[in-house]
Amino acid sequence: MSFDTLVFYLLAALTVFAALRVITARNPVHAALFLVLAFFSTAGIWMLLEAEFLAITLVLVYVGAVMVLFLFVVMMLDINLVQLREGFWRWFPFGVVLAAIMVFEMVWVLGSRQTVETGAQVAKHAADYSNTKELGRLIYTEYVYPFELAAVVLLVAIVAAIALSLRHRRDSKSQDVAKQVAVRREDRVRIVSVPSGKKAGPGIED
Amino acid sequence: MEKITNFFKTFLLFELVKGMALTGRYFFARKITVQFPEEKTPQGFRFRGLHAQRRYASGEERCIGCKLCEAVCPALAINIETEEREDGTRRTTRYDIDLMKCIFCGFCEESCPVDAIVETRILEYHGEKRGDLYYTKPMLLAVGDKYEEQIAKDRAADAKYR
Amino acid sequence: MMELLQAIEQMGQSLLGVAWVPVWTLVKIVAIVAPLMIGIAYLTLAERKVIGYMQVRIGPNRVGYYGLLQPLADGIKLMFKEIIIPTGSNRFLFVVAPVLALMPALAAWAVVPFADGMVLANVNAGLLYILAMTSLGVYGIIIAGWASNSKYAFLGAMRSAAQIVSYEIAMGFALVCVLMAAQSMNLGDIVHGQQGKAGLFGWYFIPLFPMFLVYLIAGVAETNRAPFDMAEGESEIVAGFHVEYSGMAFALFFLAEYANMILIAALTSIMFLGGWLPPFDVAPFNWLPGLFWMLAKMSFVLFLFLWFRATFPRYRYDQLMRLGWKVFIPLTLIWVVVVGAWMQTRFWLW
Repeated sequence: MSFDTLVFYLLAALTVFAALRVITARNPVHAALFLVLAFFSTAGIWMLLEAEFLAITLVLVYVGAVMVLFLFVVMMLDINLVQLREGFWRWFPFGVVLAAIMVFEMVWVLGSRQTVETGAQVAKHAADYSNTKELGRLIYTEYVYPFELAAVVLLVAIVAAIALSLRHRRDSKSQDVAKQVAVRREDRVRIVSVPSGKKAGPGIED
Repeated sequence: MEKITNFFKTFLLFELVKGMALTGRYFFARKITVQFPEEKTPQGFRFRGLHAQRRYASGEERCIGCKLCEAVCPALAINIETEEREDGTRRTTRYDIDLMKCIFCGFCEESCPVDAIVETRILEYHGEKRGDLYYTKPMLLAVGDKYEEQIAKDRAADAKYR
Repeated sequence: MMELLQAIEQMGQSLLGVAWVPVWTLVKIVAIVAPLMIGIAYLTLAERKVIGYMQVRIGPNRVGYYGLLQPLADGIKLMFKEIIIPTGSNRFLFVVAPVLALMPALAAWAVVPFADGMVLANVNAGLLYILAMTSLGVYGIIIAGWASNSKYAFLGAMRSAAQIVSYEIAMGFALVCVLMAAQSMNLGDIVHGQQGKAGLFGWYFIPLFPMFLVYLIAGVAETNRAPFDMAEGESEIVAGFHVEYSGMAFALFFLAEYANMILIAALTSIMFLGGWLPPFDVAPFNWLPGLFWMLAKMSFVLFLFLWFRATFPRYRYDQLMRLGWKVFIPLTLIWVVVVGAWMQTRFWLW
């Protein structure tokens, strides 16, 4: 067994363990942190496939931003664990069926002869090969329309989220920052030179 | 025109640079720090530091146990008990000042009809364990005996304003 | 110098064989981390001195000559202090949080070049790696705040998490401009892209001046330094996310903050100030080694950090968010397009 294989199995085991803990952990914050661990070990596996751009982007976007906001929300929620667990056994068979279908699909795709013969072979590249550049080239030439489409869909989602949650309240007070920034010291401060009076009267000495 | 200059002033962070120029100038200014144990700032004769109890030149303690200071003390730092001495005068058997409570307002000194309790210029006293800063009558008298000369001089300098 | 290193490497290879690579890497890591730790220690002293001078004081001067042993004394003090774990806190996460804060701050140094070729890991996606690592630093803060079981710590952590996530975007876009200009994500190549006859005028802070400012300001915000020290905000939420920490656990947060500061300083010098390049490629300047110029530029940026702290009052929270989302992000987005268009014309000289 080569070093690569060893690392792969280690990371894979870690991913599966972390993923299991995500759904079994009692504390939602712990579950979220295990999800972070799962992302991390997945990034490690991608790194083994020489997909360093995707691996680092996974860490950057999902671990660095999405999961932080996730934690943010989870930490502020007051979750009743008993209530949360109530429906577990009722939905358990449904979940099992779903999982079985997913496993079947994966085995079907990954186990087919075509995949085993061609797809599983990872092409070795020269040291100066840049994953990022290749990806960028593909996205902006061959797949430019799907890519732009996905971007527009995301944009629409953002706009929709804002439009749905934006409410103008009449009684809310806010400052007009542009006005504040536009103000100069000269508009507000007036320096007046007042001639100082005579020495203070008798009785006060210095 | 003014709008345009304002626009550039805002986006080139002109005011921030101005502020930094100010602190930058002070970076090179002469420092005003007083290096305490070696250098000291001047003290006035009204300085209110550690308390002391004074005596007359004859050696008789001044305090007559009127408890005015105890009554006026805003921090309730003074505790006094009195008894009649053999010669028929009222004297304190107990005169404690808790320096942990004391706020050094100087009211005790002001209220004293015989200038018995005074505040001296001493500020560098300390205690090493709990209770060290609970000053009793003998301790206060000892401070007074030790620094009587300075205390008398300060009272004399202040006398014309009273 | 280079021959000596090569000789050491050959000797090691013959002596240890396969085990040589990890050993040599460890030596390199120590060679980066040990000076970094000393740098952090003396940065704390420099901070106190510089801020003292700007406030017409003289700062620490009692421990050792000019206070030079002060960081050592502080370190020893912190080491012997008791670590108190509050009741109701999450013990494991409480202890892990400071480590999580420090780890990414140190890990990011792996791809930072100190001089031509003087880098631990010369990876192609260096810039991305740095972005990913700096984005992880927030975990230490947010976990510390939550695990402490304290209101102030939690408020500080929430503020800090929101702040770091928002400024990261502006920072990322500023870096996109740099990598567009350099056409590479390798930090060494970015510095090489600034090399040229023009010296100082070939550095990216000239064509990307707004991005330079945005990066610098976002860097201050990312490291939770004044005037963006909302996470600590000692006048409103005591000390923010690390209220409950004491002794070495607190010291780790402190180390992480200063390691991040030095990291931002190093990145600013690499990406905008020409890294190890001398300001003019003529006689007296290029006698000095690249390492000297790199350290000089880092010191300059660090001095700016301290200068900011001595000058500006703390931002209010909503103003901070406004600055990040409504000023920096649009500005950087526009500048990405501007740089892209500019690079297609003949007027792009860099």
